[in-house]
Amino acid sequence: MNLSNLSARVKTTIILLGVVFFFASAAEIQAQKRFSKSYPASKNVNLKLINRTGSITVEGWNKEEVRILADMETASTNIQPQNLSGTIYVNVVKDNQGRNDVGYVNFKINVPFSSSVNIETIMGNLSVNNIGGVLVRAHISSEGDITLTNIGAANVSAENVIGDIFYDGEIRGEGIYRFTSTRGNINLRIPANSSFNLVATAPSTRNISLGVFTNANLNFGDGRRVFGKIGEGNASLTVSNQRGSISFLKR
Amino acid sequence: MNCEHCQESISAFLDNELDAIEASNIRTHLAVCAPCAKVCEDFAMILDFCQLEETADIAPPNSKALWCRINNLVETEIKEQAKPEEIKLGWFARFWQNSWQFSFTQVASALLGIALVSSLLTVVGIKNYSASSEMANHSTAPSLFDRALGKLGLIETPQQSREKRMHQQQLTVDYWRQRVETRRANWNPQVRDTFDRNLNEINQVIVEYDRILQENPQDNISGEMLDSALNEQVELLREFSEL
Repeated sequence: MNLSNLSARVKTTIILLGVVFFFASAAEIQAQKRFSKSYPASKNVNLKLINRTGSITVEGWNKEEVRILADMETASTNIQPQNLSGTIYVNVVKDNQGRNDVGYVNFKINVPFSSSVNIETIMGNLSVNNIGGVLVRAHISSEGDITLTNIGAANVSAENVIGDIFYDGEIRGEGIYRFTSTRGNINLRIPANSSFNLVATAPSTRNISLGVFTNANLNFGDGRRVFGKIGEGNASLTVSNQRGSISFLKR
Repeated sequence: MNCEHCQESISAFLDNELDAIEASNIRTHLAVCAPCAKVCEDFAMILDFCQLEETADIAPPNSKALWCRINNLVETEIKEQAKPEEIKLGWFARFWQNSWQFSFTQVASALLGIALVSSLLTVVGIKNYSASSEMANHSTAPSLFDRALGKLGLIETPQQSREKRMHQQQLTVDYWRQRVETRRANWNPQVRDTFDRNLNEINQVIVEYDRILQENPQDNISGEMLDSALNEQVELLREFSEL
């Protein structure tokens, strides 16, 4: 075999490999699917979203419109949002009931600032930013991080099993705030002049860092639970972390 | 012969048990006295009927017993007629009409018993009310009185209450676990791993608090955390069973 023949064969092989790689990538791109839909909405629209697996990011914006973008792992995943008298309702679990080929779905949703947001996923990260409506609820059935930033809602609930929870927002008078995790770190960044009734429980680690509220007249018991009233407000703040820490940060 | 003597002798007359003179006297009287003749005729008919062969079929199986019962009935009726008539009274009237006579000791014991029972009921009521309303935020050891009430079964001890809750919860967990098992084969490896990891985490928490509560059944925080973990376990199973 001479040198020119060998060179030609190498070139042919490289070209063939290139072609195969190109088509494989194209097939992968083809398998992914993007869903996009917008709805005109009032300022205080409710968003309720139930996902199977994948992340959800909800951003408040200054438009009276809800925009839903979803990247799906498998093209056959079915998403059928419903607009029911002031509530945008998306239920990926129900829309794909009994199907085994549904992969992750990553949502990116924009809603008006004063919307209420109620999102759930079985696994995956949840993120809500710039929301000042009545309710913000983020629930992960198993694992994933929850990040709630710039929240002005009076009713806030965040719950996961494994993963961190970060809350950055207001504590409204008469509001109800509840953060629950089994294993992870719960960090709450709230204004130093917030007033509320606190019950913070971290029984395994006894790691409850009160930050700017350290000097408040609170009952520490044996260290597993801290409770008491901070300021004069009637808001209720309940934090429970079975096997992780709880920290308060100044906002 | 008068009628009384005649009627007393009719039975013997019909059975031919009288001597000839007596029988002749009876016959003479029956000829002139219609009522005695009627009685004699009735007796004769009864005797004729009894002498028929068919009477054996309709005779009672135990004539002695029958007569005994009839006799008893007759005697009872006679006794009741002899008694002065009583007025039937209700339960409350009988109770009210009873004359009660107690000694001082009996009255004192009864009052003490009533006071003790009413105090117990009041305490149990207050305990149950306060237990449901207070925030269980720290360990509280039960008083001696609580323990005594618990032993008597008047109040449910925290341990009993927890065991009952855990048993109920376990039934729910078993149900959802079965449903998860039917779906599990369809999950991809990533979902299976996530499920196992999270269930294991929750199970560890349950075991941990169960152990603490075995050592200190009155630890309310651990009891609360255990309840929370059990609920999370059910929630996890329920949601994964839908996948």
